[in-house]
Amino acid sequence: MFPVPKWGSLLHFLLAFCLFRSAFTVKHEGFKTCDQSGFCKRNRAYADHVATLGDSWTSPYTLSPKTLKIDNGYITATLLKSLGNDVQSVELPVKITFLQSGAARITVDERKRRQGEIELRHGSQARKERYDEASKWAIVGGEKLDRSAKADTSSKETVVNYGPNDRYRAVINHSPFSIDFFRDDQLHVKLNGKGLMNMEQWRPKVEKPDIKEGEEPKEGEQAVERGEDESTWWEETFGGNTDSKPKGPESVGLDITFPGYEHVFGIPGHASSLSLKQTRGGSDAYEQPYRLYNSDVFEYEMDSPMTLYGAIPFMQAHRKDSTVGIFWLNAAETWIDIVKRKVSSNPLSLGIGGKTDTETHWFSESGLMDVFVFLGPTPKDVISQYGELTGYTQLPQQFAIAYHQCRWNYVTDEDVRDVDKKMDRARIPYDVIWLDIEYTDGKKYFTWDAHTFPDPLGMGKQLESHDRKLVVIIDPHIKNEGNYPVVEALKSKSLGVKNKDNNLYEGWCWPGSSHWVDCFNPAALEWWKSLFTYSSFTGTAANTFVWNDMNEPSVFNGPETTMPKDNIHHGNWEHRDVHNINGMTFVNATYHALLARDPPASRRRPFVLTRSYYSGSQRLGAMWTGDNQAEWSHLAASIPMLLTQNIAGFPFAGADVGGFFGNPSKELLTRWYQAGAFYPFFRGHAHIDTRRREPYLAGEPYTSIVTQALRLRYQLLPAWYTAFHAASVSGVPVLQPHYYAHPSDEAAFAIEDQFYLGSTGLLVKPVVTEGAETVSIYLPPGETYYDYFTYSTHVGSGSTITVPAPLDTIPLFMRAGHVFPRKDRPRRSSGLMRWDPYTLVIALGGNGEAEGDLYVDDGESYDYEDGAYIHRHFSFSSSTLRSSDLSADTDVSKPSKKRKAYLAAMAAVRVEKIVIVGAPMAWKGRSEVSVEEEGTKQTRTAEMKWHEGEGGAANWAVVRDPGVEIGKGWTIEM
Amino acid sequence: MRSTSFLIILSVTVVQAIAAAEAPRPLGVGPEFAKFYKGLETFTCISAPSIHLPIARLNDDFCDCPDGSDEPGTSACAHLSPLSPAFLGSTPADDLDTTSALPGFYCKNKGHQPSYVPFTVVNDGVCDYESCCDGSDEWAKVGGVKCEDRCKEIGKEWKKQDEQRQKSLSNAAKRRKEIVADAEKLRKEVADRIQSLQTEIQGGEMKVKALESDLAETERRERSKVVKSPKGLSKMGLLAQLAKDRIEELRESLVEVRRQRDTGKARMVELEGILSTFKEEYNPNFNDEGVKRAVRSWEDYAAREKSPIGDDAHDRDLDEIAKPEGETGAINWSEWEEPEESDVDVLYKFEAYLPAPVRDWLDQKLRDLRVILVENGILAATHSSDGESKELQDARNALKAAQDSLNDNNRQLTTHQEDLEKDYGIDDVFRALKGQCVSRDSGEYIYELCWLDKTKQKSKKGGSQTIMGNFVSIDKIMVDDEVPPDGKGLGSGERVALKYENGQHCWNGPNRSTLVVLACAEKDEVWKITEEEKCVYRMEVGTPAVCGVSDRKEERPKDEL
Repeated sequence: MFPVPKWGSLLHFLLAFCLFRSAFTVKHEGFKTCDQSGFCKRNRAYADHVATLGDSWTSPYTLSPKTLKIDNGYITATLLKSLGNDVQSVELPVKITFLQSGAARITVDERKRRQGEIELRHGSQARKERYDEASKWAIVGGEKLDRSAKADTSSKETVVNYGPNDRYRAVINHSPFSIDFFRDDQLHVKLNGKGLMNMEQWRPKVEKPDIKEGEEPKEGEQAVERGEDESTWWEETFGGNTDSKPKGPESVGLDITFPGYEHVFGIPGHASSLSLKQTRGGSDAYEQPYRLYNSDVFEYEMDSPMTLYGAIPFMQAHRKDSTVGIFWLNAAETWIDIVKRKVSSNPLSLGIGGKTDTETHWFSESGLMDVFVFLGPTPKDVISQYGELTGYTQLPQQFAIAYHQCRWNYVTDEDVRDVDKKMDRARIPYDVIWLDIEYTDGKKYFTWDAHTFPDPLGMGKQLESHDRKLVVIIDPHIKNEGNYPVVEALKSKSLGVKNKDNNLYEGWCWPGSSHWVDCFNPAALEWWKSLFTYSSFTGTAANTFVWNDMNEPSVFNGPETTMPKDNIHHGNWEHRDVHNINGMTFVNATYHALLARDPPASRRRPFVLTRSYYSGSQRLGAMWTGDNQAEWSHLAASIPMLLTQNIAGFPFAGADVGGFFGNPSKELLTRWYQAGAFYPFFRGHAHIDTRRREPYLAGEPYTSIVTQALRLRYQLLPAWYTAFHAASVSGVPVLQPHYYAHPSDEAAFAIEDQFYLGSTGLLVKPVVTEGAETVSIYLPPGETYYDYFTYSTHVGSGSTITVPAPLDTIPLFMRAGHVFPRKDRPRRSSGLMRWDPYTLVIALGGNGEAEGDLYVDDGESYDYEDGAYIHRHFSFSSSTLRSSDLSADTDVSKPSKKRKAYLAAMAAVRVEKIVIVGAPMAWKGRSEVSVEEEGTKQTRTAEMKWHEGEGGAANWAVVRDPGVEIGKGWTIEM
Repeated sequence: MRSTSFLIILSVTVVQAIAAAEAPRPLGVGPEFAKFYKGLETFTCISAPSIHLPIARLNDDFCDCPDGSDEPGTSACAHLSPLSPAFLGSTPADDLDTTSALPGFYCKNKGHQPSYVPFTVVNDGVCDYESCCDGSDEWAKVGGVKCEDRCKEIGKEWKKQDEQRQKSLSNAAKRRKEIVADAEKLRKEVADRIQSLQTEIQGGEMKVKALESDLAETERRERSKVVKSPKGLSKMGLLAQLAKDRIEELRESLVEVRRQRDTGKARMVELEGILSTFKEEYNPNFNDEGVKRAVRSWEDYAAREKSPIGDDAHDRDLDEIAKPEGETGAINWSEWEEPEESDVDVLYKFEAYLPAPVRDWLDQKLRDLRVILVENGILAATHSSDGESKELQDARNALKAAQDSLNDNNRQLTTHQEDLEKDYGIDDVFRALKGQCVSRDSGEYIYELCWLDKTKQKSKKGGSQTIMGNFVSIDKIMVDDEVPPDGKGLGSGERVALKYENGQHCWNGPNRSTLVVLACAEKDEVWKITEEEKCVYRMEVGTPAVCGVSDRKEERPKDEL
């Protein structure tokens, strides 16, 4: 007998392999193009249809004036979508809100879905309403209404004056519905100006009679044909997965035009340029829209609008001296088309006075239409307003912005101890060592492999002895295996994501068969906390922190490597509605679980690294750009990618130093460390199949050069921490691209390969090409820069200059007019620098003035909330350096116990050195400065030495040990 | 006025201190540098003698000397290193030598051994008892840290361990002597064996010669003997018939087996194709254990040497064999089924007509002629094994046995001679260890080192043993490691290293290899296994075999430091 069953199972086996092949080997093929995503195709077709009609097109949306209600700070009304003469219009309630921050918000819902007057197909358990909880996760403030907003309405339009000094005006046109936003009487943003608004109303599926082949369709049926392609309304299949779409077509779309704006920035994450490209073809333009659908993209490609791991639907448009912004609050799959149209203000003056409008077209698969409009006028204003809504970046622990040593995987606890010792022996500073998935017992999170990690606590203690930390990975997939208490609890408490049939969803990830914790569920959050207690997750201690990976979520056997859209989350929301927020809810759970580990009195700031993110994730930790490659192109791409993160409100961002996949050459590794020293999140990481590449292994001269870069990062940590503090209170980017720092320097808005570190005036141009001996750097007109290392002087003229950049050199410049703090003593970790004295560097310009800030606290607790911090402003003018207090008035007038104790301890920390670059010739021959410190009557003197610059270098001076406390007010007169 | 009197008091204190303790060294200064710190009023930077500083600037926590020598007791000059970013003003004077003149901060460690610790650890808030047991590195008590003097207990513990170490060292030295003695014995045995082999070979050669001529003579005789086969015609025909049937049967089943083999082969090629595409194209990032395991076993499978199923020559033979009988090259059964007269028979018949003496003469001549013809390859010899006499077979066998034995002895001789030439390390020490194995349970695997043979790895979770390398050579490498208190570490300096290469092929990587680095220990023990890069392993191993070896090396003048 032929062994049928055996062959059958072999066939099964081969079939499974074939499936794997198609899922794993593809890059593009694994992810949808616009054409393969039904609503993208429909909305683009809609736009094309409108374009062909030209002026004869009228948007079918009108605001019904009789429904209009004007209240203090907001307007409500009903929009009517006309479906044709004899069909009832679709009712779409709209709310337009004006906020104290100056932001305006437009929210459009659909009455029938809201009131449940619809039927879902396939007996789906999903909610009938459009998803309205995105704000619950993304918005944390800034919702106070601008009660002074004044509205005037006529039958044609409603005009609202609002914002600071009524600078802003919204003109709401009733028919067809559109809104024009003005600032200082100038038009800046138009909504539905092109009439692409589209809200796909609920409709029942009409089963059409089968038309048999060869039969002529009857006369009447042809009339029913309205040119609408229903093929993507009811079911979509991609890569062998079928989406049941129980709610039918439900997308939302809107065109947003920025008249006179040539540049738009933002909407991470993509491996694309800082200044976004056009997406409808043409030279240096993409064919596909920018896509936001959080995905685990294997070996992602460069210069592409393809989606990546996270989504921040926040965009800024910038032109000379003006920035405006848009926040499209929607958690479903979203695409954005960008077209830049050259328009001539006067058709007769061809080219002259011509300007460019940027037309954007946004569409999401489901949910409310919910748009925020920010009117600037500076990039800082826009980012700050956005930050007020979605939260500013978390003030990280000090260690989190130091260097992280990671690898998939440090394979044993001995291995970790060994790397720790070797870093010390090589005198290379580092703060954190990381464990990827292999530390677990069979990929079961919250367990340790007993063979390879028999003593995690001992390992943690060794790290703690030098104030170092451990980060372990915890992913959202929970292994589906017997005798694993975590999965048993997940099942018994019903805390997992469910499939479309409302049963526990099962998919495939690292551990094999897995379930996914549903962090939309408040009960799951509570349960998640219980898993992280020191007694529950044994082997962890106060210096253990967490890395959340694969939270897009990544599902190996799911459509586009993620969950089916018809999966069901807590509250019966479909996964489709919440997909882009999913990753954030997981990090949120971990963040709160880490907070809950310690008693309230000794809470320390959590540290969580996430791969997937959404607007608001910045409140919870750091992100990185995922699985990059050890190639020069990826090093180069990391700079615009991180700059985009920074201007999109999520500055705590990094890329894997060295490149995740593949083995970097020593030169590439060295250059990557030099660039990485200026990543806000600075972590070396490598794939399990790569060779070991800890910095001490590189050999000379590479190890020394890499160590110098690392020590440079540590030296500048006070400046980094100050920059992070600023980001945490007002959204100021930690890395500032050119357009942000020089909003008037029109020629250079698209510069994306050089940037400033916070407000320090430190300008960096990482070398990202092989074999470079020099780099070109753009210097804006009229600004003076000093080389950080040689003090050589460059005066900008709005063009690029070439500077030497051999392998051991990082092109780094100090912009005149700035003061920044340093700590010059190399230590083993940032924690051990706590008591070291400061060096202040002053880069003086021609006007002899400079200023800068320092923020410092204990770097780990929340005591700063009780005033336990030092915040100083340094200003230099008239040959005098002044340190003044930036502390909140209440902290100064009524210092808390914690503040007093902190300041008392910090009295031991002094300024040991002041370096003045660009020191005036007049100081030549002077050897003393006079020092006056608050609280002492007497004036002291300190030694000063003036040096003449040689070979194009600026003159410089050093004040020797002025002996002033960092936390006190003082003046030093040169 | 006040400041003057303060100065006087200060100088008095200083003078008293000097009188009391004979030039106390400033904090952090080791005895070998004391001579630079004798000045009472000024200090001169050690490697920049043009710079004189007031004595108050010594250890005042500000770096004044370009070589850092004014801050032997603080971290103020810790940045003076090629590992620090070098910028203008990072050193007090840029035209001068900027490397630190001092090896570090000197911890007296009374009760234990004095040592230097890097300036970067001075006053950083951590008690570095491992190197500075008296806690003096944290004299400033930054952040309130207090490091009490632990030299007494640490020193005591160290002494205890040191005694243990010394004891174990001397045991190790003893043990090494034994090993070397064993090695010598073994070497002697090899040398002895070579001698006896040489004698045996000489004897063997002579024997082979004799047997060769013996065989030649026997053959000659045999060839001349023309034997008339018995005419068991019916029996023969029967046998032929049986043989024919049997062969036909065998042929048919061979054809069938071949067909099955070809189908199997095609299936396997197809499956291997699928698997290798799978291996090429699957996503290694999605580190699915099941898939990875499948890929790994496929890799192992693919790396294994293949049996020569695709041998063309063999296949051609099979083609021939598989042809139906009667076609070219096959046996002509009818020839066997019906009796036929052979050339010999004709000769006999011809002779019958001659007179007896002529017949004898002719017979003799014909025999001679035949031998000549056979010897010159003109006529085929009557070689059918059943036709060969026992005598001839015996002669042949005897010669073969003698030749085999001679060859074997020659082989052994070569092996032994090579073995004697081979590098077995200093004192031939590894000769005694060769083939012995040491294993270690480490994490998920059990590792095994077989001296001068193989390194192996075996997963505890099951699966077969993996060869991590085959011994290639004995080498020397430089190491720079800390030795833990139990002495199980490599330490610093030149160490003997055994290279094992060309082990099992690694999925997505090279063939496995292992570097076995040796340090002196009382007994053979694998201390540590690390995977330095993908499938490149390093074993740190203690063994008495290398005791005293590096010491002996260090007797020659050092070229560094």
